[in-house]
Amino acid sequence: MSDVVLQSIVKRYDATTAVDNVSLNIRQGELVALLGPSGCGKTTTLRMVGGFIPVTEGRILVGGRDLTSLPPNKRNMGFGFQNYALFPHMSVGENVAFGLQMRKLPKADIARKVKTALDRVKLSHLADRLPKQLSGGQQQRVALARALVIEPDVLLLDEPLSNLDAQLRNEMKLEIRNIQQQLGITTIFVTHDQDEALSVADRVVLMRAGRIEQMGAPDDLFERPASHFVAEFMGVTNLLAGTLESVGRFRLKSGEVVAVPVAGLSGDLALALRPERVILDGTDEALLANTLSAEVEFATYRGLVIDYRVRLPSGVTLIARRPSPAVGGPAPLSPGRAVRVSWQPEAGTLVPV
Amino acid sequence: MSGSAMSAATTNPGGATAPPLNLPAPGARERRRLSPAFGLAAPGTLFVVLALMGPLALMFRYSLNRFVPGQMMVEALTLANYQKFFADSYYQEVLATTLWVSGLSTLLCLLAGFPVAYFLVRQASDKWKGRLLLLVILPLLMGNAVRTAAWMVILGDKGLFNAFVSTLGLSPVKLMYTPTAVVIGLVSVLLPFMIVTLQSIIEGIDANLEAAASSLGASHLTTLWRVVLPLALPGILAGTMLCFILSMNAYATPVLIGGPSFQMMAPAVYQQVAKAMNWPFGAALAFVLMAVTLVLTTTANVLVQRRYRRWSE
Repeated sequence: MSDVVLQSIVKRYDATTAVDNVSLNIRQGELVALLGPSGCGKTTTLRMVGGFIPVTEGRILVGGRDLTSLPPNKRNMGFGFQNYALFPHMSVGENVAFGLQMRKLPKADIARKVKTALDRVKLSHLADRLPKQLSGGQQQRVALARALVIEPDVLLLDEPLSNLDAQLRNEMKLEIRNIQQQLGITTIFVTHDQDEALSVADRVVLMRAGRIEQMGAPDDLFERPASHFVAEFMGVTNLLAGTLESVGRFRLKSGEVVAVPVAGLSGDLALALRPERVILDGTDEALLANTLSAEVEFATYRGLVIDYRVRLPSGVTLIARRPSPAVGGPAPLSPGRAVRVSWQPEAGTLVPV
Repeated sequence: MSGSAMSAATTNPGGATAPPLNLPAPGARERRRLSPAFGLAAPGTLFVVLALMGPLALMFRYSLNRFVPGQMMVEALTLANYQKFFADSYYQEVLATTLWVSGLSTLLCLLAGFPVAYFLVRQASDKWKGRLLLLVILPLLMGNAVRTAAWMVILGDKGLFNAFVSTLGLSPVKLMYTPTAVVIGLVSVLLPFMIVTLQSIIEGIDANLEAAASSLGASHLTTLWRVVLPLALPGILAGTMLCFILSMNAYATPVLIGGPSFQMMAPAVYQQVAKAMNWPFGAALAFVLMAVTLVLTTTANVLVQRRYRRWSE
């Protein structure tokens, strides 16, 4: 097991650049999530690390060893595929044994290791089944066992949870994290789901159009987005364009001037404001430095919360999220109603546009 | 037991206890869906029965008749024609030649076709795949006789091949009217069938399976052997059977390239029926050919099925 270094990785296809100068140092035992919308280059990057796609430029080092030009079968990496890619003509046990057979281990060792690997994912009792006889979650576990049984230096997971239903996804997320921590294996985890990335990773790398947009600890990206794109991708639905008027005073394009935290930025900016931080008809005036009058445009009932779209007199709309009555929230507001919209200055984050 | 009881309880086949609504029962709706399919299938089925089974039955009846020179076919019910085949070593040799030529041609088609099909699926870009596939099928757009005539031009004693050989200063090779030439001719006819069949099955094999094998430490060759080939088995079987059946029944190639002294079954049938006017024996030969082909392909089918049924169903 080892650290992974990507040095200025570039992947070009004819005219398009899929991955553009990505550099990344992953510590031994760290779990890094490559996050981004489809087409951002995250899967291409993962596949280059796995050796399935040749790099156009740059180097890939694992434990100091340059693997850039080695084929996948010489890299000793475990790869988890989005569709699991279990061999349909082999039983669960044979699937897991495959990598060990390639390493020409004695039969007894193979049997023992397969057993251990299947025990780890709680599937020993299904060793004789064929993949198609398993549920999606079980298939995912077999794929994980198959990738880990070869004791790889690095574990690469490509959207491992995207084919599972919501509940199973949560379960598998914890299980993957658990096993990863137990084994202390360096892991790269590709996902398009920010929630998945935040809850599973030590570090999140958000990619956009082949480049790294921002990387850092989950709370870094979530609480301190460095750009409009990051804020939007991290679920900030209110992004209000404007410019700094003076220190701590931000003028929205629509004319309103609001208080913002002090930031060392200038030029065209956006105020990122999570809907949970927008208060409707708040009463504690001391906390609510920014208060504007608005009108409820419509409400979206989402079970635990209700999202309100409110419109300021200037025409700007904001989303405010309140607990629904189901969890003890206030009574719903009906569209057309006049409300006061407020938020604390430090609730907002300024990001470059 | 319990399964059938349950299905009887949950479905409503008779419709006797159907709710008193003006709606069709669920079962009835399903039945109504089936009937247009039957209707559509009927003309084709009828045609096959009449146009294929009819002549076949007629031929089988002929094979039991007696041949009397001068009188041609005489109504009878005898196995003499079949006995003649099994008594005459000449015809057994013809069958043996047919078998080995077909077997070898099919094997060569498989060996040459698999790499091409694999390349087409895995390496060629979408843009090129269509063009290359068209190129593969192109020979089929030509008539069999035309194509075979072209081979005669190439393989003849003073043909293109020997012209090339003599420019290298080597002595000419006798190719025309040899079994080698027939195998070459057959392979060229059958290869497109093999490639297209294999291409379609390899297309259905998830490329990630090969990537998975590779990441687990398998070389290209091991991946091919342990993953691709087992999964391509149904296609290999289909392509092999197709090529084998077609070459067992080949006519133009053995006649034109094999020459007068080279005999295979299909030309022998024609010989009996059209030249010797011995319809009963010709029919018997045809049925021997059909039976042998059927037994071999069915056996192959069963053997291969047994291997991949477990996971393919």
